[in-house]
Amino acid sequence: METHKALFQQGQHRLDKLKQLAPRAGDSLLEKMSAKGINRRDFMKWSAVVTSMLALPNPFTSLVAQAAEIADRVPLIWLHLAECTGCTESLLRADTPSIDTLIFDHVSLEYHETLMVASGFQAEENLQNALEKYKGKYLLAVEGGVPTADNGSFLTLGPHGETGLSRVQKAAKDAVAIIAVGTCASFGGIQAAAPNPTGTKGVQEVVKQPVINLGGCPPNERNIVGTLMYYIMFGKLPPLDMFNRPKWAYGSRVHDDCERRGHFDSGEFVEEFGSQEAKDGHCLYKMGCKGPYTYNNCPTERFNGHTSWPVLAGHGCIGCSEPDFWDAMSDFEKPLSRRLLTGLDSTADTIGAVILGAAVVGIGAHAIATFFVKPVDY
Amino acid sequence: MSESPQVLSASQQVKLKGRVTHIPTMREFAFTPLIRIFHWLRFLAIMILLISGFYIAWPFLMDPKSTDVLIQGWMRFSHLIFGFIFSCITISRNYLFLFSKDKSERRSLLDALSIDRWRSQIKAYVFLGKPDEKSGLYGPLQLVTYASFYSCSLIMVLTGLALYSRVYHEGLGQLLYAPASWLTYICGGLANVRNIHHWFTWVFIVFLIVHVYMVIWTGIRFKKAAVDAIISGYDYHTHAHIEPFPVTTSESVNINEPTIPNKSIL
Repeated sequence: METHKALFQQGQHRLDKLKQLAPRAGDSLLEKMSAKGINRRDFMKWSAVVTSMLALPNPFTSLVAQAAEIADRVPLIWLHLAECTGCTESLLRADTPSIDTLIFDHVSLEYHETLMVASGFQAEENLQNALEKYKGKYLLAVEGGVPTADNGSFLTLGPHGETGLSRVQKAAKDAVAIIAVGTCASFGGIQAAAPNPTGTKGVQEVVKQPVINLGGCPPNERNIVGTLMYYIMFGKLPPLDMFNRPKWAYGSRVHDDCERRGHFDSGEFVEEFGSQEAKDGHCLYKMGCKGPYTYNNCPTERFNGHTSWPVLAGHGCIGCSEPDFWDAMSDFEKPLSRRLLTGLDSTADTIGAVILGAAVVGIGAHAIATFFVKPVDY
Repeated sequence: MSESPQVLSASQQVKLKGRVTHIPTMREFAFTPLIRIFHWLRFLAIMILLISGFYIAWPFLMDPKSTDVLIQGWMRFSHLIFGFIFSCITISRNYLFLFSKDKSERRSLLDALSIDRWRSQIKAYVFLGKPDEKSGLYGPLQLVTYASFYSCSLIMVLTGLALYSRVYHEGLGQLLYAPASWLTYICGGLANVRNIHHWFTWVFIVFLIVHVYMVIWTGIRFKKAAVDAIISGYDYHTHAHIEPFPVTTSESVNINEPTIPNKSIL
């Protein structure tokens, strides 16, 4: 409790300092919310949910609420590299704008290629201005992997044809913290799948500073906003796991919190899509679910305003938030023990059985030969 | 070839039409009780781990009519229990190899450095003579094979414990959580840890078959107590004794004369 008290004071102190800064011109968060029909009570409920998601005790709700309100004091620069914009889309295109979406709108976004009006030289100027003006103060969010082969020439951006590699390294230099949004920015993603001709890597491999990885294709919008809230509140990196992912979001496996877990434990499996077992909600392990190897909070947070998530919808997890998931988790509809090994087009068990067969043939030949050779002299 | 007519080579004895019997002459202590207990306990553990492991990889017994039929649960339970037994044996045997009072295992290390012993063992396996009277317990090829077996065991134990700590978060699982995270990081994710755990299973299956064959073959070809030794602890060396058939005139026997060997005395 003492540590929580100290943490609370630290957070309050930081928020008080941030409040001194000038807000970005525009409406306050509460005004924006009331325009969308969201009242303060909904906002406080949202704050409580985010607090518990961040594994903080209930009194921190007031801190989360304050952090959300002053999110427009923290400059955020968002870069798009080798990606599909799916992470941004998942955050922006909710059918009913949630509070998460509104906060993303409210954050002092200084540069975001999908959202800004400017283009060409003007856009480039905006980026340079933001990098100069908020030097050493801005948060850098990166979406997409970084092609590194041929000096990064597989990805060029802007009117000067700057490579993504040079752009992310320049922007990272003066960033106060770096958030890799999505699997591509975290680990390279599909672009980095074998044989990876563009040499795509995650942001953490091309910059010197620590990077917070938010794996997922896309990551849950609440994990993105939660990470922002954590940074605004405490001004430091959250506790991270072995792949630098926040523990509060990636601390347990999909398998651990899955609503179908009971069926796994009692050995009730789906063996065919559309079967009675599938309709009864049995475990999808034999249909290739990679939930046992994937760290994420999909079962508890779900997607699209907490509506559903892949396993609830009836397909196994494909492990999209894990490093090298395209190679490590394939085939997506077979369990790992039945996956075809790359380049061999057979399962490990087939290869093992062939080696075993060869050993048995060798043993047989050796045994038969023994009958025909000279006995040992004594 | 031996000079004494009493210890002629088996093939010569056959040609001399003598009767060959292999009489145990030396009883040699080979395996300490701990080694033997660990050997058979490990055999049991490996068999159960193989069966339950393949079941977990693909749970093929489906459609239990009642939730009281917990095949999946029993399979996972036995995999855990025998996994821990296997881990303990692997660790204990590594310790015993290094620090046991009985030095016979460690002496094999010197043999493995001798090119002559390598040559004689490989020649023995391809029917070109017999292995040296070695000073240690294992021949060089044996020692290298067992060392590889132990390395694979260690890989299985480490990946197994890492997978365990991802499911059971308290007690031992909690203690192992940080090292397991490191191993997961090295392997590039939990899926790869699980893949490695599956691939190395096959090493044990192939080893098992070849090991059993080699032991039985060695016992038969070199007339020793190869299989017995891991049960009783004692190895027996035999010497060939011939009781020559009464020969009226020994000068009349032409050794070079082609004769049909009597298979039954081989």
